Amino acid sequence: MAARRRGVLILCLLVTAALLTVAIPVWLIQPFRHQTSGDLELSYLLKRWSPLGVPILAGFTLFWVIRLWRGSPGVLRRVALVLALGLTLLAAWFAQQNHFEWMFRPPVKAEFALPAEATFLSGDDRVLGVEINGEATAYPIRALAYHHLVHDRVGGVDVVATY
Amino acid sequence: MWERTLNGTALQFHLSGINNENFIMKDEQTGSWWQQVSGRAIQGPLEGSQLKRVPHDEVTFATWKREHPATRVLTPDSKSQAKYASADWEAEIAKLPVVTPRRKSEPLEDRELVAGVFTPDAARAYVVADLASLGPINDRLGTVPILVLPFEGGKSVRVFERTVEGKTLEFFAGTGTDEGKLFDSTTGSAWSLAGMAQSGPLSGRRLPGVVVLLDYWFDWKTYHPDTDVYRAGL
Repeated sequence: MAARRRGVLILCLLVTAALLTVAIPVWLIQPFRHQTSGDLELSYLLKRWSPLGVPILAGFTLFWVIRLWRGSPGVLRRVALVLALGLTLLAAWFAQQNHFEWMFRPPVKAEFALPAEATFLSGDDRVLGVEINGEATAYPIRALAYHHLVHDRVGGVDVVATY
Repeated sequence: MWERTLNGTALQFHLSGINNENFIMKDEQTGSWWQQVSGRAIQGPLEGSQLKRVPHDEVTFATWKREHPATRVLTPDSKSQAKYASADWEAEIAKLPVVTPRRKSEPLEDRELVAGVFTPDAARAYVVADLASLGPINDRLGTVPILVLPFEGGKSVRVFERTVEGKTLEFFAGTGTDEGKLFDSTTGSAWSLAGMAQSGPLSGRRLPGVVVLLDYWFDWKTYHPDTDVYRAGL
């Protein structure tokens, strides 16, 4: 019985650790929140290790769910075990995602037109323009403000337009 | 706008977080985090590295097209176009909250749009809303004599160094039949908005460009804490 209680405790810790590892950086580096350098450091650390670490936590969770399964004949207990495993698997999946790019997708492939073909822009629309080694490129601000990042090569130089 | 080659490798960036309303980008190659506005790596293996800034211009498409008839233009991404902001996006942004700490005696409102200019030893913010009425400003930032040149009704601004062949020039806007033109009072040469002398003794000379960042005051002051604010007549 004591062994069983220990197993449940370990399981609870695993689920909590998996959820916190992915939730803390989401909370800390959200928009419209004041970030300190400590917030950034902790977020970086958690984001850095979560793609590997959270699946490992999910693996341990699976191990403990299997171990506890036989000794948990009740429906409620088994639902709880499945839920524990489901939550850590969800956290493991989320750890592989970049939720910022759900909101602001990068362009599938940056494509370019000549000014005469640029009917999607009016003369009053603002652009971010660069000229490198004689090659000029204009990035419409409204497109940049959505994508935030556009990778390109201008005049033989690899650049990234940011806004 | 940044060069993205570091130590011979072209980095690929992803939007990866927010730091006080300026975004963080992560490079695929090392996983380091970079601050968009400063181009500096703030976390990870490359922490402390600095991307090289590419001088950019923020103007209307009409101006850019006139000055660069062969320009390439980024086309809208068909999968995302519906999510692009509407034409009045600037008014929408102005309503968003600000989260950086405010000092007691702050010279400007948080979301005052400024044209930020910096040299290695000085930084100055010009209030964009005031630029239209000011015309060309002959200023000095640190030790560098600069020309702040508003155009397109003050919505766009370019900054140049105003020393040519050892001579520091003073600029003024033409009036009457010369409305919309730019002259220097030192030699009487006429200059384009791109900083090129088109006629007069200095014809063909070009003023070296200085990078201008259009930014909100709260963000500008965070990355240039030593900045002052330009006041006309001081």
